[in-house]
Amino acid sequence: MKKTYSYFIIYRYEKGIRSTAKLAFAFFLVAMVQFAVYANTPNGSNLVLQTDGSSKSYLPSKLFPNHAQANIIVKGKITDASGEVLIGASIALKNGAGLASTDINGNFTVTVPENATLVVSYIGYQTQEIEVAGRTQINIVLKEAGNNLNEVVVTGYGTQRKKDLTGAVSVISAKDIAGIAVGNVSQILQGKAAGVSVTESSGQPGGGITVQIRGIGTINGVSPLYIIDGIPTQNGINEISPDDIESISVLKDASSAAIYGARAAGGVVIVTTKHGLPGKTKVSASVYTGVQSAANLIPMANNTQYIAAYNTAAVNDGRPTITNALLNSLGTTPGTYPLSNTDWLIALLRPANITNADLSLSGGSDNTNYLVSANYFNQGGLIQNSSYDRFNLHTVINSTLSKYIKVGTNVNMGYSKTGIVGDGGDGTNGGASVVRYALFRTPGTPVRDPSGQYVSLPEQDQSPGGIGNFLGDGYNPVQLAANTNNYNNNYDVLGDAFIEITPIKGLKIRSDFGLDFSLLNNKQFDPTFGTPANDQYQGVNGQPTQTVNSPSALSQAQTNTLNYNWTNTATYDLTLHKNVFTFLLGTEIIKNDIQTTGASTEGFVNQSSGFQYLSNGTTTYDLVSGGETHYGLASEFGRINYQYDNKYLASVNYRHDASSELDPSAQAESFYSGSLGWRIDQEDFMKNVKPISTFKLRVSFGQAGNAQGLSPYPYESLLSGNYYYPFNGASNQGYTISTIGNPNIRWETNTQTDGGVDLGFFRDALLLSVDYYVKNTSNVLLPEPLPPSAGNASPPTINAGKVRDQGLEVELTYRQVINHDWNYSIKGNFATLNDDVVSLGGGAPIAGGKIGSDYITLTQVGHPIGSFYLLQDEGIFQNQQQILTHAYQGQGIRPGDVMYKDINGDGTIDQNDRAFSGSPIPKFTYGMTANVQYKSFDLSLFFQGVYGNKIYNQVATDIDGFYRPFDITETTATKSWTGPGSTNTYPILSWTDAPNNTQFSTRFLESGSYLRLKNAQLGYTLHPDALKILGVTSARFYIAGTNLLTFTKYTGLDPEIYQNMNNAGDGPRGAGIDWGTYPSARTITIGVNANF
Amino acid sequence: MKAKNISIYLLLVLFVTAAGCKKVLNEPVLGSYTPGNFFTNDANAKLAVNAAYVPLTFTNPSNNTIWVLGDVASDDAIKGGNAGDQSDFMLVNQFNILPTNSAVQNVWAQYYNGIFACNVVTDGLAGNTAVSAAVKQQVLGQAEFIRAYCYFILTNCYGAIPIHLHVETPAQAQKPRSSQALVYAQIEADCTAAAAALPTTWTGADIGRATKGAALALLAKTYLFEGKWALAATTAQAVDALGVYSLLPIFSQNFQAATKNNAEGIFSVQHQTGLTPFQGNNLNQWFAPRSLNGYGFFYPTQSLVSNFEVDNGVADPRLNYTVAQAGQPYFDSAFDPTWTTTGYLSKKHCQPLSEIPASNKGDGNLNYQAIRFAEVLLIEAEALNESGNSAGALVPLNRVRKRARESYLYDSTLPGYPVVPAGLLPDITVTDQSQLRDIIRVERRSELALEFHRFFDIIRYGEAYANAALQPNAPAFNYTTNQFFPIPESEIETNPNIGTIVK
Repeated sequence: MKKTYSYFIIYRYEKGIRSTAKLAFAFFLVAMVQFAVYANTPNGSNLVLQTDGSSKSYLPSKLFPNHAQANIIVKGKITDASGEVLIGASIALKNGAGLASTDINGNFTVTVPENATLVVSYIGYQTQEIEVAGRTQINIVLKEAGNNLNEVVVTGYGTQRKKDLTGAVSVISAKDIAGIAVGNVSQILQGKAAGVSVTESSGQPGGGITVQIRGIGTINGVSPLYIIDGIPTQNGINEISPDDIESISVLKDASSAAIYGARAAGGVVIVTTKHGLPGKTKVSASVYTGVQSAANLIPMANNTQYIAAYNTAAVNDGRPTITNALLNSLGTTPGTYPLSNTDWLIALLRPANITNADLSLSGGSDNTNYLVSANYFNQGGLIQNSSYDRFNLHTVINSTLSKYIKVGTNVNMGYSKTGIVGDGGDGTNGGASVVRYALFRTPGTPVRDPSGQYVSLPEQDQSPGGIGNFLGDGYNPVQLAANTNNYNNNYDVLGDAFIEITPIKGLKIRSDFGLDFSLLNNKQFDPTFGTPANDQYQGVNGQPTQTVNSPSALSQAQTNTLNYNWTNTATYDLTLHKNVFTFLLGTEIIKNDIQTTGASTEGFVNQSSGFQYLSNGTTTYDLVSGGETHYGLASEFGRINYQYDNKYLASVNYRHDASSELDPSAQAESFYSGSLGWRIDQEDFMKNVKPISTFKLRVSFGQAGNAQGLSPYPYESLLSGNYYYPFNGASNQGYTISTIGNPNIRWETNTQTDGGVDLGFFRDALLLSVDYYVKNTSNVLLPEPLPPSAGNASPPTINAGKVRDQGLEVELTYRQVINHDWNYSIKGNFATLNDDVVSLGGGAPIAGGKIGSDYITLTQVGHPIGSFYLLQDEGIFQNQQQILTHAYQGQGIRPGDVMYKDINGDGTIDQNDRAFSGSPIPKFTYGMTANVQYKSFDLSLFFQGVYGNKIYNQVATDIDGFYRPFDITETTATKSWTGPGSTNTYPILSWTDAPNNTQFSTRFLESGSYLRLKNAQLGYTLHPDALKILGVTSARFYIAGTNLLTFTKYTGLDPEIYQNMNNAGDGPRGAGIDWGTYPSARTITIGVNANF
Repeated sequence: MKAKNISIYLLLVLFVTAAGCKKVLNEPVLGSYTPGNFFTNDANAKLAVNAAYVPLTFTNPSNNTIWVLGDVASDDAIKGGNAGDQSDFMLVNQFNILPTNSAVQNVWAQYYNGIFACNVVTDGLAGNTAVSAAVKQQVLGQAEFIRAYCYFILTNCYGAIPIHLHVETPAQAQKPRSSQALVYAQIEADCTAAAAALPTTWTGADIGRATKGAALALLAKTYLFEGKWALAATTAQAVDALGVYSLLPIFSQNFQAATKNNAEGIFSVQHQTGLTPFQGNNLNQWFAPRSLNGYGFFYPTQSLVSNFEVDNGVADPRLNYTVAQAGQPYFDSAFDPTWTTTGYLSKKHCQPLSEIPASNKGDGNLNYQAIRFAEVLLIEAEALNESGNSAGALVPLNRVRKRARESYLYDSTLPGYPVVPAGLLPDITVTDQSQLRDIIRVERRSELALEFHRFFDIIRYGEAYANAALQPNAPAFNYTTNQFFPIPESEIETNPNIGTIVK
């Protein structure tokens, strides 16, 4: 099997491997060129280098000592700008070995060639190169390194120096995310900032991603507000290329986020894209390509194990077993296949390509700068017909028209195409998980029959002595995937134009017009497929052949979203002695218009792609749908930042939002927040505390709102005309109220208190930022259930309930330059989260996570949102005595069956014995990036993990349950209970006992903790001179791996799951249920970044 | 342009934006009516009442489970079907009924949905001047009738229940239960108002809407259930006096697609095959045997079959019209005894393959005969007998018997047609009140068999009758606790006042 698999990879991926080989060869050639350059130089014969006229020696002196130069003794002293001596600063020869370090007085003595170049480095300071040029005494003043406290951070409607920040803001820069092979901007936030939780719903390319900042916050879930270059957008974040990102600021606390008022409760993610810089035209190209493959597959029972387990269960249940005679007859009896041994996961999950190419041109004069970039991203899916392709064109022009006026525009055009296969759930809400079918299918049937046709349903001869249905009754997952044809085409324009006036010094008036237009077109064609009628293996005993999707059907749906904003701000900086004020005043209008149309038809005579159009359906009626909703928000806002003597910081924010979603009589609400900061490091008494370079305390408090999940007109009752009744045989439409409105509906209010401290040690080589927050969400939007006696209209949404999230966040950075050759840095983040429902407004606990007709989560006061609520697995009954003494579990319980805990002590196990069993929300999340640079090599490792969450392995109830002829895991096949003492974990193999053994219980609840080596990269930067021939100013080659290692106890395919299709409607109340998720790929890529 | 000027303009823009652009906030509801703009014309008022009829249909028999509570709970039928399929319905049959039982929850939800749609109409038309007086009267009358009909079913099933007469907020909707007497009073009021408002007949496209006769018949039945014998008798006579109802010549014509909306049907829940959206009678699939693409539910019992009179060796023809059994065709198919564990299948609610092919089984074309004129006659007979006029009771009783036996005069498929077999279903002459009571009960059971009324009759006949009827097959039956089905769990969870009963 293994052999076939490798052959399979080579065969299927020949093309990919060939292009990879070509790139590798190119890499090799360039390396050879460089080596040739090195090799030729000592003879002075390299004309290219000589004409360069460079006097810098770039050669390792030890390797190629230059006998023409005399050695001299150089002495000196190293100080900082204030004249303070620097002890332990290192002095090295450029491209050579370390020579010395400064003594306690900052002095050094080295012996070097007289034209040598010294490299002086010290933690927290900029490394300097000094040309000796024959001097013997050199005093060096090192400049403080530009550390990230001096960085300018993009905040709401403005920027601030990081050291002046009083709120909790995490910043992610372009270099933090370089080379990570993911297609989506939100994905790259994963593990990069404390308190920002990013979870893929599945590993499907272009699949949904859930981003949560500081917890769930509310019963319905809240996603962050994204601001891309000043444009508020929800979809836009998926339509820009990670390559275009300059920086991302995550505003987490109330004081930084609340300037966005009613939409800020979920935090704010501000994305700033790249722009041009004055100077010569710069051309940058980056390309990576690679192969993705499935990893950590679940070991399923092979055919021998499956049949043995089947027969064990048959004996246990007193049913006929599969006889050898029957097995031997397979393949010879018409209607049967020779027994195969298919591993359906391997058959389904094939390796796939991933490619990204980005080209950008940028430059500018003093007055105007520009950037044009194009990006192409392609990610094939591990499952056939799943894929993600995206093209982007990004243009930026900024121009200073005069001393007073600046204008600019920034446009991103994107097109993406997503091929979707069923990736979660059982098909009751959207496509059923193909992976789930792969887990179900028994190994006994082949993928294809000898004539190359897919084998659909295993034949089922139910006659006495027939083969029965031991071969299972699930779809052929490979065939199902091959017959999936479901694509999203998304066209998106995200653009912004601004004018900024500076009439007097310190005052800036800016008017911004932003637009996000997106057109999403979904087209799904479900062809009729199945065992063809002429298949020699077609049904025995008159069994009908299997056909799926009969009649064939096509549906198309289009959503046009026009979202625009007009934002006007005035900023005034005022300095009065030691008092520094920054005032901000602004207004904003946001308008969102959505139009939807949809149509479907059935019965295609010709199923080929040239006929998959609505006009080609033959059904007598076509279903059409369409609608339109509008939404408007009008706001005014203001902010004052105040600073006294660089020590005392304060800010107050105000925003007044009015929304068309609220009852016209009361559409507006105000949001306030404020913060204080104290830069203790600026105080005189800290001057002598040397190791501490930064010490700042921050506190903030404020409010923000949320109305996500509200229908467009929640204040109004609505009638639906979806009722039909045939008076005298003719259809008559009927109308009645289908939704009851609540005119008093308001925003959810989130009140957040944050306290933080920023610490820097050793000239900020070590930076530590710690925040503790308490976020109370009140007026939580809850559906107020109507008693069934009040009719079945959708109940109104009311403001009730309280949720509290609190957590500790730590971000840490350590940078160390050992010497010129070696430097390394470590960045880590860690966040705890404690989510607690404080009140449900007196309402009943809310059930969620529906499986079949039961619910497995409960949202109840005192527990996290969406906590699992299950029977408690107590092990396995080992003997009859245990059954008799244990609480009554029902008829037919026998040794080997799962024992459940009698929680309420009433002597009977029933639904009243369910108990809270953990939640899908991790107790803490963490991420760590380590970078090491040695000469031209760089290595980075990025780990990311979560701890303390639970996953309900729903698919295991089927594949471990053994109540239908589904395949089972190898564990179930080999480790099940066979007699007293054999196991206390895996129950007896039995169909008849499955109703007891597969009850919704902690048996299937597993730890979702994991630690992943999310990305590892090894890069090599070519020497610039080596590339001059090619016109390249810099080039870095790298090889990277994504999801290389996963440490987890979870037995499913991928612990990284959040929401499945079945439970999507429940939001966070139905999270963490695994229906057979599409696994994340392990990806190996090679890439190059080059500048010309 | 000077920068200063531009900045002044920009500043102006800022203030204009702040002050003048509240227009973006003016977003009327698109694509949906609201209660405020719906009841603005006659056509819409009719659309609103149309929706109230929808919950009465059997487009989905797993939602409209009145067939389970009305007949599977009784001695007339068992659940049938595969053993594990719809096991809650089996538990109803066994009187092992929890508040979570789906049959119990679904009847509650279904008929209260009907009441809600009626309340939308009565609220929407209260004080309304946009709708013409004539249409207002018709529409209100229909809404009142359907509301009464739903309350009647609900109080039969659950006894004391909450009364909702308006569209309510969730807080208002947390109503305590009203005693059955109060519910009956509400039904009487609605029926009386509906009878005054509704026309005697509808024509053309309106056929099938509630009529004056329907309101009066339901009122008569309500009086009967209340034991208001005199009122029940006079109201039943008032239905007869309308002069538009008669018994069909052949009993089975009540249950055939070709004779929908006939002179005997007083209120028929309408179904129609072949419509989009679906408006067919799905009972046709639920009650048909599996080999004909049915689900095979609802097997009549031997006890029901034995209830039919056999005179001189000839069975009441209503038996074979009602029940399929070995030796008799199942419409246009041969009856296969393996279809059913009792040996019987229901023929009411089902159609021949020639009318509804197996591939289209669920899209049946039969109306549900909610109130037939034959029942009104039996109400009159029972009410007269109970009020002491046993001789008077014989007249309507014998009209029912006469039609049954005279099916032989009109139905050419019956053996011996067109001659009524001698001694078959002779006119009753007994005038002893007690004996006649028993005769009327037997007659009612045969005439209305498998029309989802039996359990409620059993209960109102009293404990002795109920125990005798139900305990042989459901020993768990206890008249005190089982005369009403439990208040559904979903109501208990969402309505904190449900435990209170207002007398």
